[in-house]
Amino acid sequence: MSKYLLKPLAVASLLALAHPLAASAQDADAGEKVFRKCKACHMVGEDAKNRVGPELNNLLGRQAGTVPDFKYSKAMEAKGNDGLVWDDDTLSEYLENPKKYVKGTKMSFAGLRKETEIQDVIAYLKTFSEAAGTPAETESKAEEPAKNDEAAAAAEPVQTAAASDGDVLPKDAEVPDHGVFHLGRKALPDEVEAWNIDIRPDGSGLPVGRGTVAQGEVIYTETCAVCHGVFGEGEGRWPVLAGGQGTLEDDRPEKTIGSYWPYLSTVFDYVRRAMPFGNAHSLSDNGVYSVVAYLLYLNDVVTDEEFELSNENFASIKLPNEENFIADNRLEEPAYAAKEEPCMKECKPGPVEITMRARVLDVTPDSEDDSVGAGAIE
Amino acid sequence: MKNEETDNPRRNGEGLENPSRRTLLRGGVAAAGGAALAAGLAARGAGAAISQHADPLITDVQDWNRYPGDGVDARPYGLPSQYEKDVVRRDVPWLTADSKSSVNFTPLHELDGIITPNGLCFERHHGGIAEINPADHRLMINGLVDNELVFTMEDLKRFPRENRVYFLECAANSGMEWRGSQLNGCQFTHGMVHNVMYTGIRVRDLLNEAGVKPEGKWVLAEGADPSLMTRSIPLEKMMDDCMVAFKMNGEALREEQGYPIRLVVPGWEGNMWIKWLRRFEVGDQPWQQREETSKYTDLLADGQARRFTWEMDVKSVITNPSPQAPITHGKGQTVITGLAWSGRGKIARVDVSLDGGRNWQEARIDGPSLDKSVHRFYYDFDWDGSELLIQSRAMDDQGFIQPSKDELRAARGTNSIYHNNGIQTWYIKQDGSAENVEVSS
Repeated sequence: MSKYLLKPLAVASLLALAHPLAASAQDADAGEKVFRKCKACHMVGEDAKNRVGPELNNLLGRQAGTVPDFKYSKAMEAKGNDGLVWDDDTLSEYLENPKKYVKGTKMSFAGLRKETEIQDVIAYLKTFSEAAGTPAETESKAEEPAKNDEAAAAAEPVQTAAASDGDVLPKDAEVPDHGVFHLGRKALPDEVEAWNIDIRPDGSGLPVGRGTVAQGEVIYTETCAVCHGVFGEGEGRWPVLAGGQGTLEDDRPEKTIGSYWPYLSTVFDYVRRAMPFGNAHSLSDNGVYSVVAYLLYLNDVVTDEEFELSNENFASIKLPNEENFIADNRLEEPAYAAKEEPCMKECKPGPVEITMRARVLDVTPDSEDDSVGAGAIE
Repeated sequence: MKNEETDNPRRNGEGLENPSRRTLLRGGVAAAGGAALAAGLAARGAGAAISQHADPLITDVQDWNRYPGDGVDARPYGLPSQYEKDVVRRDVPWLTADSKSSVNFTPLHELDGIITPNGLCFERHHGGIAEINPADHRLMINGLVDNELVFTMEDLKRFPRENRVYFLECAANSGMEWRGSQLNGCQFTHGMVHNVMYTGIRVRDLLNEAGVKPEGKWVLAEGADPSLMTRSIPLEKMMDDCMVAFKMNGEALREEQGYPIRLVVPGWEGNMWIKWLRRFEVGDQPWQQREETSKYTDLLADGQARRFTWEMDVKSVITNPSPQAPITHGKGQTVITGLAWSGRGKIARVDVSLDGGRNWQEARIDGPSLDKSVHRFYYDFDWDGSELLIQSRAMDDQGFIQPSKDELRAARGTNSIYHNNGIQTWYIKQDGSAENVEVSS
């Protein structure tokens, strides 16, 4: 099976060697789709502004770290000063593994795994770059796509083998003895370990590890602050992580880890599960302990910069608002508890008056009034 | 937030122009027949019935009467008519930080019956739409079970299947309206609900296949998207009526609805219906995940917060007329229609008021009446052209009655975000246009 599949791909990679340009053909339309991955942070096109990342108009031919009014990492500025200019080659290398190419970059993006995606997104960015020359004229690229195709060829049969036409298992495989329908197979310990990452308030599920407030500050500043703010105050509409203690009864409560969240385990679980946004699962377990320790510090739950959080002391730490969570008691509210036949005639004393009108008459994407929707969807 | 607009081709997709501040209403009206509004509102009461001239649309042969159209192969996957191009999901960008972790809304005012077309079911993602080859998808069961198991899609399709129609409502539907009427359109005030027929298998069968240990009381459901979305669900509910669905309205789930499989948790808040479902873990306690502690908990006025508020309470809304769907025909025979649903059962009755809740009349429910599904109601009346304050009030078969917004606020304050099922009022003006308002009690 694998032999059969390898054949056309092998031919393809031979062709790639012979025709480097064909292999690195760039498709701006496909790149527009790839660019969706970038849009959380970057704008391009008319009216593009700096957001979490710099705007990307005229990126091709631009010296790295030079968009006005954007606060780059020191690493990116240094690279630019050393002469890094974005072109096909430098962008390709950067997009493949940003943190490797510019060690210390603020961009918390894992990189694009597929060479075609890299080439396509560059093609797309070229459509917004006046200085962009003819695409892919460099010869050095001949090697790389070919290499990648080989890698793809090696990887492909595995994927295809999984494409079940009913022959994942040999036809004469034994019928499993579990259950009623005898469907599925036993999960292997490594598989369960890979996915079973949830943590509970009692600390069950925690990996062995440790990290200090000071270590967490380094990671947080580099990786988290770009969205959540240097002090956890939240940039734009990204979640606020710190502060807000004593505001839960206010007109505009601020619900943070320190003011609202009931359990520390949720912080650890979620950071390990889904953060940083756009590059989840990139922190080590010790890194997660460090970041969580730093979040405790930002929320004044711990005050000592030397504090070290570990699987041993984790369950002993309580968040201030734990006691304020109660069970669902909606059905005790008068409107529900009554269950009375509702009034049908003259249910209000006199003619009904309008007491309030829609605040946003034209519900539009470009509302200027940024405050109207505060706290609506979280 | 202006820049969001140019920045997001998704909203510009399918040749649809991005509705800007002033064009949305116009667009909505155009869809309902813009010319009809201008003419109809001006000559209200006259109506087309008294036309003096023969209608050329009848007397002339039209192009579509003469020239053959596309053959059968032109549209291998059929799409709505070009004249329906404005019937799409829309979002309100300022609600959230990023479109990958955001929401858009079902155009309820453009739909009828009880089934939501697949392409119009609202979307809510926390890490964008995961694109998964079903051949690469796995469902694992681990934790307090006799056998920890892994299933392929093919395995799952060998379990006995069932078909059920259920509504799915986001707990934050109408969440923007807690402090008062805000958004002008039922798509935005109530559009985080959809109603679909699911084909899938019983979670009970899956859990029994693994064999739940006696101490197992909770199940953690987990998705495969970049947020690895998780919720703790009581075992009792999972064994009762939850499903793992792979089809919606007869065809494969849409990617934005969790392709290849999603969890169906009938009557309970949409966040629990884990999309791109990849794992069930059985445990003896809830896991207190982010979406059941920091989110999807209901903050009350006294600073306490309710947690595990799973059921979606009895609710209804008039979808037509409404701000995006004004009355364009002038006075006379008029149809009011809307949707009603309850996460606790079937809808037993819907009442409609034309005077802001002072007097009520029973509406007519038409179409299937199914457990935990939306119900379609109609109220047909002769409009005299005067101003109206229209409301609907639903009752479910458990005896629960949809409360007023004031009753909800009295019990909870205004910071609950979730579970706002208060009675909605539309102010219908003499020209047939409608506005989202609140009224005296």
